[in-house]
Amino acid sequence: MSDLATASYLAQADNGSRLNKTLRPPFDAVRRFGARSIIMTTIAAVLLFVFLSPILLVVAVSFGEKIEGASWVWAFDPSNYARVFVGIGWPDEITLLYAYKLGYTLAYAVLGSLIAIAFAFPFTYFLSQCSRPVQAAWLVFILASLSMSEVFIVMGWDIMLSNRSGLPALFKATGVTEWLKETGWLAVLKDWGLANPRNVKFKTSQLATVLTMAYLVWPYAVILLYAPLSRIDRSMIEAARTMGAGSFTVMRTVIVPVVRIPVMGTLLLLFVYLLGAYVTVTYFAEPAHQTLPVSIYEAIRGATLNAPFGAAQAVVLLTTAGVFIFASLWLSRLAENRGR
Amino acid sequence: MTQKFKTRRTGDLTRRSILKGAAGTTALAAGSSLLAMPAIAQARSIKIGSYGGYFEDSFKKFVYPAFTEATGITVESVTQPNSSDWLVTMQQAAASGTVPADVSLYGKDTMIKATRIGEMLKPLDASKIPGVTNLDAEFLYEGPDGLVGVGSMAWFNAMVINPNEVTPAPTSWKEFWENPAYEGSLGISKKIDGRLLDITAKTFFDGAETLMTEDGIVAVLDKVAELKPHVALWWSAESQMEQAMKNEDVIGGSYYLDVANIMASDGFPIKPLFPVEGNPIGYGSWCLSPLSEKTGEAYEFMAFSSDPATQALMSRNIGTAPLVNRELTDLTDEEFAFVSGSPIITPAYESYLDNETFIKERWDAMLAGA
Repeated sequence: MSDLATASYLAQADNGSRLNKTLRPPFDAVRRFGARSIIMTTIAAVLLFVFLSPILLVVAVSFGEKIEGASWVWAFDPSNYARVFVGIGWPDEITLLYAYKLGYTLAYAVLGSLIAIAFAFPFTYFLSQCSRPVQAAWLVFILASLSMSEVFIVMGWDIMLSNRSGLPALFKATGVTEWLKETGWLAVLKDWGLANPRNVKFKTSQLATVLTMAYLVWPYAVILLYAPLSRIDRSMIEAARTMGAGSFTVMRTVIVPVVRIPVMGTLLLLFVYLLGAYVTVTYFAEPAHQTLPVSIYEAIRGATLNAPFGAAQAVVLLTTAGVFIFASLWLSRLAENRGR
Repeated sequence: MTQKFKTRRTGDLTRRSILKGAAGTTALAAGSSLLAMPAIAQARSIKIGSYGGYFEDSFKKFVYPAFTEATGITVESVTQPNSSDWLVTMQQAAASGTVPADVSLYGKDTMIKATRIGEMLKPLDASKIPGVTNLDAEFLYEGPDGLVGVGSMAWFNAMVINPNEVTPAPTSWKEFWENPAYEGSLGISKKIDGRLLDITAKTFFDGAETLMTEDGIVAVLDKVAELKPHVALWWSAESQMEQAMKNEDVIGGSYYLDVANIMASDGFPIKPLFPVEGNPIGYGSWCLSPLSEKTGEAYEFMAFSSDPATQALMSRNIGTAPLVNRELTDLTDEEFAFVSGSPIITPAYESYLDNETFIKERWDAMLAGA
């Protein structure tokens, strides 16, 4: 690669010296900075533009001013940010509505990714010990399942939890519902929001929301964990076993220390992915437990046409996610250093 | 079947509907250009917007051909995702000097919003729209510069129940609050303009008037909060409520009259009702873009749309309620009952706009219990 670049640079420089003076300035630049660095700078500029400009635009919009009953105009109005933290009635009263929404966003993302990893880790560990054809078959299946969009997955879970086609129907058909009614457990479930007077119900509930989110990212967890888990040196495990370590001790002292960094990385990636989950939340979480992305969408696309407030919420979500990721990276580095 | 309504009022534009819309528009354009060829230079045409999906398809199938037959003007159908998003599109288009649609279909709140933004709607000369007097005066919207919107059709957010699960049928919205059988069993629109505020104001307070003040809004919201334990689903897309009724995850709630009727005729357990307080009405209006050069054609289309025969045509094929006196149409009792009813709850449109941010945040806070 570098040989090729050098060759092309030399060719360019050679050409430049032979060409007449009218063509000089650009070739001068080439000679001074090198073709390679010019290309690299151009690519970097394009990338910066492509990645940064949408974010900068969101930041700019977030300072816009909402005109009641109409649209919004460009301005420098920091009140959108104040509203995210303390609500519209500030300073007379404080609403933590959006702080709650941010809290649910983070809580669902953390729980969803933890549950996904809790199920994916043992699965992937045993998968990595299977024969090659079995591994290949599973990986193809899991990779293929990634092509399912959130909409399809939510639709599937929706059917599974529906009163006439899903778990509640099963409860009813097997007589569990009747039993719950007789023993008074249905009333208890009703208090927990998991039943109505006729049967159990799992929609809407935080349980359904978190489980669907975990299901959503489980294939990613398997694929991300597969490489580190299948690279574990078997002889280390065998050595530990011959020295009398039980399965748990092997897991604790050999396997987990080896893969803790990839696991941490996987966790962060799933967390970030789930921060933006939208369809799952709108379908399975009641409005009291919905997240910031839903609120952002409603501000921008809903009847109020309040893009500035939507943008301000988006910036707060982005910043919070950034802080969380940096904090986790910092903590894991701290743990690494202490380990040495 | 009812899936087709999905894009109409929710703004849930699906990829399929876009593709379908695009394909349909292209096919229609190709078709109309072929048909128009022998007519040489005289061919007149106009671009008309409507909410995509089943709604627009019905227009293309039943209404526009009848218009072309009557006037010789060909219609290029334009897909609008919904009312308020389309306003944003038209605003951006106006800034760049283009006209995506000569005539757009706007809900009343969007129409008011457009007049407040300014220079979005062209003032119309009612004397040049012969049939317009057929419409009730309330469906002719006047902005500061005069008439800007001519009503096209109405729809209801009706009370619905599952007739197999709910007996006897409720006669008042109050029962949704008071009957413990509805605990965790209702499906209600989550959007602030889903009309629950108007229903609550009419049922327990002085109607739209109560919603004109902040104190009134807070009182109505407190009453809505009492309904929360009975709501199993706060739906944001029409299809969610459709599925929940079909699956019996909910046994009642509020839903569009036209869709509910179509579901019922497909054999699903849903029955729309008109309780003593009535159901909220919503209606769409035809509005002309100020940049359009097709004012003459637009007048002819608005006249055609205001004709009782066209209103009946829309009721039969789209399921919307007519905006002209029923006696002027040839709709049978059965046909009329399918698309309309009484009494009518008129939404407090002005208040939703004047107190937009306040209502939105208080509504969300009420839902969240924050």
